[in-house]
Amino acid sequence: MIDQAWLIPTLPLAGAAVNLFLGRRLGKWAGWLSTILVAAGFGLGVLVLADLLSLPGEERVHAVRLFEWIGSGGFALDATVRVDPLSMTMTLVVTGVGALIHWYAVGYMEHDPRYGRFFAYFNLFVFFMLMLVLADNYLVLYLGWEGVGLCSYLLIGFWYERPAAASAAKKAFVTTRIGDAAMMLGVVLIWVHAGSLDFDAVLGEGAGGLSQGVATAISLLLLAGAVGKSAQVPLHVWLPDAMEGPTPVSALIHAATMVTAGVYLVVRSHVLFEASEVALAVVLVIGLVSAIYAALASIGQWDIKRALAYSTMSQIGFMFFAVGMRFYAGAMLLLVCHAFYKALLFLTSGNVLHGLDDETDLRRMGGLRGQMPISATLFAIGALSLAGIPPLAGFFAKDHIVSVASQSGRDLAWVLASVGAFLSALYIARPLFLAFFGAGRNPGRAHEAPWRMNAPLALLASGAVAAGGVLGLSAEGGRLERFLEPVGGVLEPGHGGLPEATLIAVSVMLAVLAVAVAWWIWASGRVDWEAFPQRQPELAGWLASAFYVNALYSWLVQVPGKGFGRALTAVDDRVIDGAVNEVAEDVGRASRLAPLIQSGFVRSYALAFLLGAAALLLFLGLRF
Amino acid sequence: MRTPISYFLIVSAMLFAIGTVGVLVRKNALIIFMSVELQLNAVNLALVSFSRMHGNLDGQVLAFFSMVVAAAEVVVGLAIIVNVYRRRQSASVDDVSVLRG
Repeated sequence: MIDQAWLIPTLPLAGAAVNLFLGRRLGKWAGWLSTILVAAGFGLGVLVLADLLSLPGEERVHAVRLFEWIGSGGFALDATVRVDPLSMTMTLVVTGVGALIHWYAVGYMEHDPRYGRFFAYFNLFVFFMLMLVLADNYLVLYLGWEGVGLCSYLLIGFWYERPAAASAAKKAFVTTRIGDAAMMLGVVLIWVHAGSLDFDAVLGEGAGGLSQGVATAISLLLLAGAVGKSAQVPLHVWLPDAMEGPTPVSALIHAATMVTAGVYLVVRSHVLFEASEVALAVVLVIGLVSAIYAALASIGQWDIKRALAYSTMSQIGFMFFAVGMRFYAGAMLLLVCHAFYKALLFLTSGNVLHGLDDETDLRRMGGLRGQMPISATLFAIGALSLAGIPPLAGFFAKDHIVSVASQSGRDLAWVLASVGAFLSALYIARPLFLAFFGAGRNPGRAHEAPWRMNAPLALLASGAVAAGGVLGLSAEGGRLERFLEPVGGVLEPGHGGLPEATLIAVSVMLAVLAVAVAWWIWASGRVDWEAFPQRQPELAGWLASAFYVNALYSWLVQVPGKGFGRALTAVDDRVIDGAVNEVAEDVGRASRLAPLIQSGFVRSYALAFLLGAAALLLFLGLRF
Repeated sequence: MRTPISYFLIVSAMLFAIGTVGVLVRKNALIIFMSVELQLNAVNLALVSFSRMHGNLDGQVLAFFSMVVAAAEVVVGLAIIVNVYRRRQSASVDDVSVLRG
């Protein structure tokens, strides 16, 4: 089956083509077609995985060459599908969670006039994402990377009639473009210094030949791309705005898959990052800062989807943090678990939006658990899983990362990560209590989503419950950890820090405490949380605006940019257009002189001919 | 005895002069047109005379060309004159001076 792995991305590509050209005719079948193709991709992925598991550990890295893509002098590049534990982990997440979100979207998008086009874009996204994770060289990876950026743009701006959606789409595209440009430079540097773009050549023996400075430059440029795509500080500003897209888009692209591509890139290129002294430290710091920053910002949001968006940023911050500690398997475990529970949280909030006629403000929800019991239960499962309550998935994933910080002797990082974990539990319990508990603050009556929308959610919920235990827990190291060994290597077990039992106890206590605090503030009715912005306008403002980063960027970029634009307009109007207009006017003036020698009398012209001819003859006659 | 070439050339020059004066002094487009034809035929006569003098047919062939072109020109010119006459009820060439640039 491994040789047929190329079929996995081909199926959604075919779906995208069919939906693009025949979407209108297919009607309701467009969504089912897309869903079935992605699910078929998942089925193939499972078969490939079974083949991979039947091989011994060291033989699990395969590169299936399809055809030569570019051959130009010394530069040769093949279209190759890379089948190894890391790419298969990503493939199964993308197709598995992707298929469930497609299924949900069939119901969610049912009344949209551009139903077929939505699924065309959705399938195209899955194709590019699979191309990204199955690539065997940096250029194909970059192609997939740009492709998912394009689909992200198209889907954020899917309801382009709304100005907010159109400008959010542009913002996402431009912001990630900054990172992508840096990443392109990184890829060029790899070619210049390693002489190849193939993973085996660059990350195998090639990485040893790179000097310290080159390795650092390449790693940091690739990291800039990853930071842009994964919405980490300082290129994170696009993600909260991206919530203008339809909710399934937020779940698939801006929570489960595309935004984790940055983590995948760093894990995939970890050899380069390890060859540099500073790169991994930078990854660690960016991850930790993003995790805490976004957690604080999430607490200040009133829009349920924006709160979840900051939560995604924070969780990816934890993944970067893990990568920065060389704990690649931990980052991947959190990536998989996060895909389940964050997709679940987004889609349940989609149920709430549907039930309340697109109301996204948490202040106008409350007490929905009576009207939407299934959604409330599912949201609670996702939230508690994220909060790290054992034995749900998030506990295994996050707890392991936080523990490794202590065991590897990074005490300060451990303290900060614990603070981040506490804040995570707090910010995710907040929408749970605000939306589903307490007093009802919405005058209308909400309705529960139909079963065909809740069925995929139930499957996601089972993942959010069990994924951590199944993948993260077993006798020697986690299952996923051992599976990823051929790619990520083994993490040296640290010996410092607190004993494991203490670490687990601390994390569980923090998580439970945070949920309890959240209940006390937002659900018990004993705290007047609605008055908080009036009592603490400063603090509330900092949290709600995510520390005024948007305002800062606007001041740093927009103001000088507009000034520069005005200066250019002046130059254009006065110098460039001025010169052209002046020339045109001069020609006009000159042409008004010409008619003076024209009388319109034919006979005077004839006389002029005659005199001219006579003069010519005279001249010739005198010469000869 | 052969008629000297100069006789033919004198006739040709006289015809050309009459035609030129006609073009310059007359106002009526039709008369001017006839005068132009006179000039053309004066030239044709000169061409044929030189052809005879040199004893080859080059000049005569050229005269035929000139006749064909003149015929074509007459077609176009007469059409213009007829149109101008229909519009302005006169064939005076000074009237069309409104076409100046």
